[in-house]
Amino acid sequence: MTSISSRKITARQLYFYLACVTPVGKLVILPARLANYAGSDLLLPAIAHILLQAAAVFCVLLLAKRNKSFFELLENSVGKIAARIVILIISAFLFFVSLVPLLEQKSFVQGTFYDTIPSLVAFAPFFLLSAYLCAKPLISYGRTWDILGPLAIVGIVGILILSVTQADFGAILPIGSEGIMKFLQGTGYTFCWFFDAPILLFLLGKIEPEKGLAWKGSLFYLLGGLCVIFFIVVFYGIFEQTAVNQIFGFSKTSKYFSGMTVLGRVDFLFIYALAFVMIFYTTLPIQAGIEGILQAFGRKKYLPTLLSLGVNLVLIILTAVFDYEFGNVMHFYSEKIFFIFPVFTLLLPALALLLRRKRHETS
Amino acid sequence: MKLHKFIKTIPLKLYLILLGFILFSFFSNDFGLVDVQKTAVILAAGIDKTEEGFALTTQIAVPKGDDRTQGGTSSVEVNAEGATVSDCVTEIFAKTGWVPKFVFCNLILLSEEAAKEDTISELNYFLRNEYMNDSCFLAVCEGKAEEFLATKSATDDTSSFAIVKLFSDAAEKSGKVMPNTLKDFAVGYYSLSESSYMPFLRAEDQKTSPSKEEGSSGQEGGQGGQGGQSESEKIYRAEETAIFSKGKMADVLTPEETLAFSLLHGNVETGTFGTKDEEKAITLTVLKNKGSVKLETKTSPKVNFKLDVMVRLCCRGTTAPIEDISSDDVKPQILENAKETLDEYIHSLWNTIVNADCDLFNLKRDLYRSSAKKYRVWKDYFPTAVIPTFETKVTSQK
Repeated sequence: MTSISSRKITARQLYFYLACVTPVGKLVILPARLANYAGSDLLLPAIAHILLQAAAVFCVLLLAKRNKSFFELLENSVGKIAARIVILIISAFLFFVSLVPLLEQKSFVQGTFYDTIPSLVAFAPFFLLSAYLCAKPLISYGRTWDILGPLAIVGIVGILILSVTQADFGAILPIGSEGIMKFLQGTGYTFCWFFDAPILLFLLGKIEPEKGLAWKGSLFYLLGGLCVIFFIVVFYGIFEQTAVNQIFGFSKTSKYFSGMTVLGRVDFLFIYALAFVMIFYTTLPIQAGIEGILQAFGRKKYLPTLLSLGVNLVLIILTAVFDYEFGNVMHFYSEKIFFIFPVFTLLLPALALLLRRKRHETS
Repeated sequence: MKLHKFIKTIPLKLYLILLGFILFSFFSNDFGLVDVQKTAVILAAGIDKTEEGFALTTQIAVPKGDDRTQGGTSSVEVNAEGATVSDCVTEIFAKTGWVPKFVFCNLILLSEEAAKEDTISELNYFLRNEYMNDSCFLAVCEGKAEEFLATKSATDDTSSFAIVKLFSDAAEKSGKVMPNTLKDFAVGYYSLSESSYMPFLRAEDQKTSPSKEEGSSGQEGGQGGQGGQSESEKIYRAEETAIFSKGKMADVLTPEETLAFSLLHGNVETGTFGTKDEEKAITLTVLKNKGSVKLETKTSPKVNFKLDVMVRLCCRGTTAPIEDISSDDVKPQILENAKETLDEYIHSLWNTIVNADCDLFNLKRDLYRSSAKKYRVWKDYFPTAVIPTFETKVTSQK
């Protein structure tokens, strides 16, 4: 039996993550925010983001064949101290960005699965699972993705089948009519939902090398992105100008299916499936951040547990503090500090290609 | 050895327990428990305009009967007034001690007066409420919504249940009613066309036979000691359709115009309409219906109403030989008459919406979708300056 430290994430597991798990986080609040910022041209910023992220994923996966962790690559290029500082900054970014899916999921659970706002305690078990997962190596996600991938496919396909008949696809016409400013606004203000590439940085050295991994990986990411784009079109086709008011996207579109009056809300089966996948999507940036610190400072005996408990405790406190501030927090992330995100999600993966293959020997 | 194996599997067990725990907390919905002592399950809401603002009437479900043989749902109406609909909801809470729960609300009724003012200000609360079912039906009623909801239905224990039955899929396929939901009304209002519709409701006294009336009042007199004062039972009609422009009710479509509207939507299946055969009334059944309203923008804005209907003779108002009854053939003259009838309905519908300045067929929106440039030039001429063309085809079953 192989120990967890020697185990690697297979290409299949990675593709499941890129094609099936990453789209789920973009189906909740993002469509409504895109409609708010870009109007009927909401599709264009979504396409731009997906293409940019696919390019960033390509850059990161090109580094995978070097078979070294991100910290090792950094250390080879900039030395140990600087590498540790860079890793700490990236980890801090991932903890910071994890608040977006976290608060999103909390609101989603409270707003979709409960008839009246439940107490915060209903969401508390999430942190127990998160603390458990984050204490484990990031590699443990491989098998989880094997399960989440098919589950996400069932959820997304089910929701789309039930929703597509209700959509008026002409709603996005004429494409480009909202103007360049709306496109820029829509792209800029929704950066905080696209942070998939920097997470992959901490999987470097843990992925089984495969020929053409980089282009295949970005192709699978594009495939997932295509699902997101199609969902956004369906979403806007159903709600049109009122789409800005429809947060919790994927739980809303399928309920107008004509058979629902006879069958009841069968769409909840698919919504449950996606909500389940979202649990792991939400914990991923937290775990990736912890993984980065462990790469930089070594996997000492109790360090993973302590880090996991500490980070999750801070997140519990932030979730409680921002319990009624969801709108303000989202506003802060998307409109106030939007310029931070491309630095980490696009520039960093591109710059990572410049890292040296071998340690620079000083004479 | 066993202990070692047990310790080794602890993480997996812990993982599964935590996963179970999280699924339980996320998806249990507190087991969907509703404390009926503390919660008002609102079945329908009626909105009237007042000088101060709004009057909200909520129809709240209460359990009926003290044994299994007397099941069903009864209801009470609770009213409140306030500057906003939200104030009214708070007032209802204060009056009854019940927390108003709109998740089961299936009908929002607007009074005629309220509908003539800014409807969206009345629906604002419901559009914002995350726990409101936006598939709930909307309707305008004659008179006050408060009084309308409080009427006694002849067909159901609760008036709102009887009204919602009029909006069923089967009723919609008959072509006699054009139901609309909160979501679709809002989509229409916030679109470039700023137009929408909802059924216009009327209540009629149910004519009962004298013997039934006597029996009923005698029974009530015996039970409640109010013999002779029984409230008249009502039946509801929704064959007319209120049309809205910029959020205000602009006009009411007649039942014939409503049928034409429904046919143009392609909704009708087994619905009926009347025409003439040699000056005698006959009824035709619509077997198949295809309808479309297309905007042409090549030179000037034109709208083409296209209707393709397959019919069967349903009934004659006169005696007929058995050969006529057994035959599926419909005489060409009847088809021609049917075409004229439907043409007349569609013309009438077009005239009504033009006079009401209501873009019921979303022509402005379609113009924008086809060309934003032309939209900017022509938008102010819709729908008045649009040239209509009509293409109606009536065929019979072969």
